Amino acid sequence: MEDFFGLLGPILQSTVRNATPLVFAALGGLFSERSGVVNIGLEGLMLISAFAGVVGANLSGSAFIGLGTAVAAGLLFALIHALMTVTFEADQIISGTAINLLALGGTGFLMVAIFGSGGTSPRIEGFESVAIPVLSSIPLLGPALFDQSILVYLMYVLVPVVFFVVFHTPFGLRLRGTGEAPEAVDTAGVNVARMRYYGVGLSGVLAAFGGAYLSMGLLSAFTENMTAGRGFIALAALIFGRWNPIGAAGAALLFGFAQAVTYSVNEQAIPIEFIEMIPYVLTIIALAGLGGRAIAPAAIGKPYRKE
Amino acid sequence: MSDRVAGDGASSKGAPPVLEMRGVTKRFGAVTANDGVSLTLGRGEILGLLGENGAGKSTLMKILYGLYTPDEGEVFLDGERVEIRDPKDAVSRGIGMVHQHFTLIPPLTVAENIVLGAEPRKGLSLNLEEAVRATEELSERYGLKVDPRSRVADLSVGVRQRVEILKALYRNVRILVLDEPTAVLTPQETEDLFAVLKELVADGLSIILITHKLGELLGVSDEITIIRDGRVVDTVDAADTDEGELARLMVGREVLLRVEKEEVETPGGVRLAAENLTVRSSTGALAVKGVDLEVRGGEILGMAGVDGNGQTELAEALAGTRPVEGGRVFLDGADATNLGADARQERGLAYVPEDRGTKGLVQDFALYENNALKTYDEPPFSKWGWIFPKVMRRRAAEALRAYDVRPADPEARAGSLSGGNQQKAVLARELSGDPGVIIAAQPTRGVDVGAIEFIHGQLLKQRAEGKAILLISLELEEVRSLSDRILVMYAGRIVGEVGPEATDEQLGLLMAGRGVEEKSA
Amino acid sequence: MSEGRREQEGRDPLLRRILTGAAGALLFPLLAILLSFAIGAVIVLATGNNPVAAYVALFNGALGDPSAVGRTLLNATPLIFTGLAVAVAFRAGLFNIGGEGQLFIGAVTAAWLGVSLGFLGPLAIPVVLAACVITGFLWGSVPGMLKAYFGAHEVITTIMLNFVAINFAYYLAQNPLRQEGPIPGTETVDLAARIPAISFALGRANYGFFVALLAAVAVYLLLWRTRRGFEIRAVGLSPGAANYAGMRLGLNTILALAIGGSLAGLGGGVEVLGTYGNMDVPFVANLGFNGIGVALLGRNHPAGVVLGALLFGGLYAGAQEMQFATDVPLQLATVLLAIILLLVTATKLVEFIVGKRARALASGAGTRLERGLGS
Repeated sequence: MEDFFGLLGPILQSTVRNATPLVFAALGGLFSERSGVVNIGLEGLMLISAFAGVVGANLSGSAFIGLGTAVAAGLLFALIHALMTVTFEADQIISGTAINLLALGGTGFLMVAIFGSGGTSPRIEGFESVAIPVLSSIPLLGPALFDQSILVYLMYVLVPVVFFVVFHTPFGLRLRGTGEAPEAVDTAGVNVARMRYYGVGLSGVLAAFGGAYLSMGLLSAFTENMTAGRGFIALAALIFGRWNPIGAAGAALLFGFAQAVTYSVNEQAIPIEFIEMIPYVLTIIALAGLGGRAIAPAAIGKPYRKE
Repeated sequence: MSDRVAGDGASSKGAPPVLEMRGVTKRFGAVTANDGVSLTLGRGEILGLLGENGAGKSTLMKILYGLYTPDEGEVFLDGERVEIRDPKDAVSRGIGMVHQHFTLIPPLTVAENIVLGAEPRKGLSLNLEEAVRATEELSERYGLKVDPRSRVADLSVGVRQRVEILKALYRNVRILVLDEPTAVLTPQETEDLFAVLKELVADGLSIILITHKLGELLGVSDEITIIRDGRVVDTVDAADTDEGELARLMVGREVLLRVEKEEVETPGGVRLAAENLTVRSSTGALAVKGVDLEVRGGEILGMAGVDGNGQTELAEALAGTRPVEGGRVFLDGADATNLGADARQERGLAYVPEDRGTKGLVQDFALYENNALKTYDEPPFSKWGWIFPKVMRRRAAEALRAYDVRPADPEARAGSLSGGNQQKAVLARELSGDPGVIIAAQPTRGVDVGAIEFIHGQLLKQRAEGKAILLISLELEEVRSLSDRILVMYAGRIVGEVGPEATDEQLGLLMAGRGVEEKSA
Repeated sequence: MSEGRREQEGRDPLLRRILTGAAGALLFPLLAILLSFAIGAVIVLATGNNPVAAYVALFNGALGDPSAVGRTLLNATPLIFTGLAVAVAFRAGLFNIGGEGQLFIGAVTAAWLGVSLGFLGPLAIPVVLAACVITGFLWGSVPGMLKAYFGAHEVITTIMLNFVAINFAYYLAQNPLRQEGPIPGTETVDLAARIPAISFALGRANYGFFVALLAAVAVYLLLWRTRRGFEIRAVGLSPGAANYAGMRLGLNTILALAIGGSLAGLGGGVEVLGTYGNMDVPFVANLGFNGIGVALLGRNHPAGVVLGALLFGGLYAGAQEMQFATDVPLQLATVLLAIILLLVTATKLVEFIVGKRARALASGAGTRLERGLGS
């Protein structure tokens, strides 16, 4: 019993930590995809933000300023994606792939240009864990949920907020409409391009929180390609969660739990590679419609032309 | 700002017209879609805008709605010159539009669709109760029955149209434009719609009704503006005109109502037959519900009906491009139910699909590739899995010349041809193989007059050669003038058979499904 | 009037074909390349370096001497395979983002069979490569079947399958196929069963490059000279018309993705038998994703893919020289490629720069790009 609790506590804490960047990025992807723009560039948005956060924190000595630069970088890269796909009608998949490549090459390039070498950046002032009094002393769940960095608490707040915005505000209605039938939104007098810029822009801001959490919450430094596919797992969580904020957060927690279990169980009952496949396999199963088909917004992937 | 002007004094003399368009010109590259078009819409008036497909009606209305910017010309609202920049601008000026292709968002509810873009709010959030209430109020006031809480995806076409109109009314429009609103409606639904429109104008609204159906306009509109080749031909008072005059104005010549048709003495044997055929549509609904039919050699069997009553699915099932749910298909007496499109074509079935743009032709293929679209896997085009483009080009050049396709260049991309020439290219492919059975669905839709004559001539020639032809068309005139017998399809069933001498009334009643037991509403 | 113009054009189809073909096909990629180098120059300037010196060094590193050419060919080889893997699927209207995983499947196949069949000597090479084609084909058919039978969109499934394939390959490489010693990875293939180098002067460049060229020719013949290719192209351009003509959409979907998988798988095999001799963990990354850029830059035409792969390969080869000769980090190459990729499908941007007429000429990448992802 002791052992079980001894093991479960760290696993839960690690679950939340693994899931946090995924939730941020998945919520970001949700805004973009609900507006009708596929965002397979989440990986790149997280990576560039993780890097920009470290640079900002390194130069200023403040984690909050680092968070600001991370958000600025995520927004900038997202706006490039929006400019290419919405304004210039480039293919959304290609543009997303390019964003990933640009972030990978760009961070590698800037690591050398700014810090003089690739690999790992200098350590910076990150976000320490802040235990919430009383709540953090709940057995088992307390340390897992309420002894975390401030970014984790932000994530808790964001999930219901995003849900409210998407399903209970005029903005959300227009956003969903834009992703389903842009011509209908257009004839109703709503600017489709603007809605898509909002959607993609928000995806950059939210993915930036995820990236910043990686380099300033989990670690206190940037390492090359430190996202290591998390943007794609977030995309998987988004789809597995049926483009719903609660569903996406749940999927991210599930994926985070799977990782946490692997890292803490020493006996290799199941090889780690197979655990890491879980998010992807589940997503494929969801897309194939076993257990209720995951259906994407109808207009996703298509540029909207007036003529 | 956009409050509707009260209905009384609707025809106040001297007041400027609600809408005036003057000398509007719009070009797309070398094509002039609108050439100095002028029209006037009075308050409380229904103006009919009549013209053939491609005459420029829709372009004109898209200009009015801010979707296109005119190259020349002016638009006046209540005598004041305006520039309508985009739909939002149009809406704020009180112009509403019901598009031919509905602009609704299927997964959202009726109320959500109606308030989209002008949402009632409660603090930060969307006030859905208010949206539902507003929808119910409008719906009651004008007799447009809808359930505000149902998802649009679950609604029938007729109800969706009501939602579209409500969407415009919710925005307090003064001018309502309806683009081909009756294309998807049964005669009964059309009557209901017109009743609503009359109520709306009595309430002070002004309406522009776009159509290419002559008869409808006479009953409902006050004035009719006729457009041909992008120009206004005339504006007439609906009370002082008749269908003959309108047709003449619209087409620009006396319409030949009767095509010269040789008598074929004795029709041959049955070449194409369906037995209790049941077919599902792409949405999974039963679209064809137990159809029996026989087409004999040397006859044209016409299939009339309002669009969307299962004709498309029937044609596809007969041609083998859509799976059959139940029943059987026979080609020259042999059961062909389980044969694919390919095998049926090899047994002499030709199929001119209704949508040449997305079915009949691969737009980005060259004409020679399109010409071999069905026979690419047979000699002389193919052997041992290889294909021989040179042979394809040579054969295509011959076929294109024979069917007067312009340009007769095998290398030309299909999509670069005009509609008429595209259709001729389809005919060239389908008919040059000397098929025994021809299914022609909407063979002249969106095709210029010259090509229509050519296509009709080809069909009659095939008939004279003893081919069995099934002609599916929405154009009653076409069905009547070419067919030897006419079947009418309604809600997936054949509801009657008449001769080519049947009147509009007879056909209309059948097309509306009158006198037919139909449980589902 | 327009009829007249059409006829005039019709009179000289060859000229028009060249105009709309070559010039149109090259316009987009060339513009993208030029723009990206211009942006790259600004980046280099911003880091306090001389862009001219950097680009000269880049060029020398790519083509300056035989060993540089060898590096370019070596880099280009896998990209030709992954580019073709994208192009074939693209012609069927499908987006194959799965080149990465398909390459890994081929690579681990080659690492396994190369060692176990090494006793066959040079004879092992065709046998192993054929096996890579088969495993790549089977792996590639998975997203095809998911699409054909379940309607699961291939963009997402191929992305997800990449990670499944990579993890699976790494599992094999580190467990049943693991080599002795501290470096994680498979045992090394016997030298006799490796693809030989072309010549000493060209360094490590090996005959795998010619295998890639053969694959490109094969893809050309497949697409434009066979029934299957006719069907694949028809399905890609107009599924409705293809269905109407009696072609089987599902079968062609599966085959196009499977053929793509077999090409990327073959690329993985050539990497192991030619370049590396084994599969290390981690194995070379991003070849699959770069294949997307190669295919688009090459307008999804086999000849274009070869050119695009040579450009990408040359950039990576030159970047090392550039970093050595100047202070510009070699990651600039990746940045340049990303910008090219970002620009290469931006139709409106080109219209903005060179006008609508050019856009019309440049269109026709082989299939519709704006096809959505909705179900």
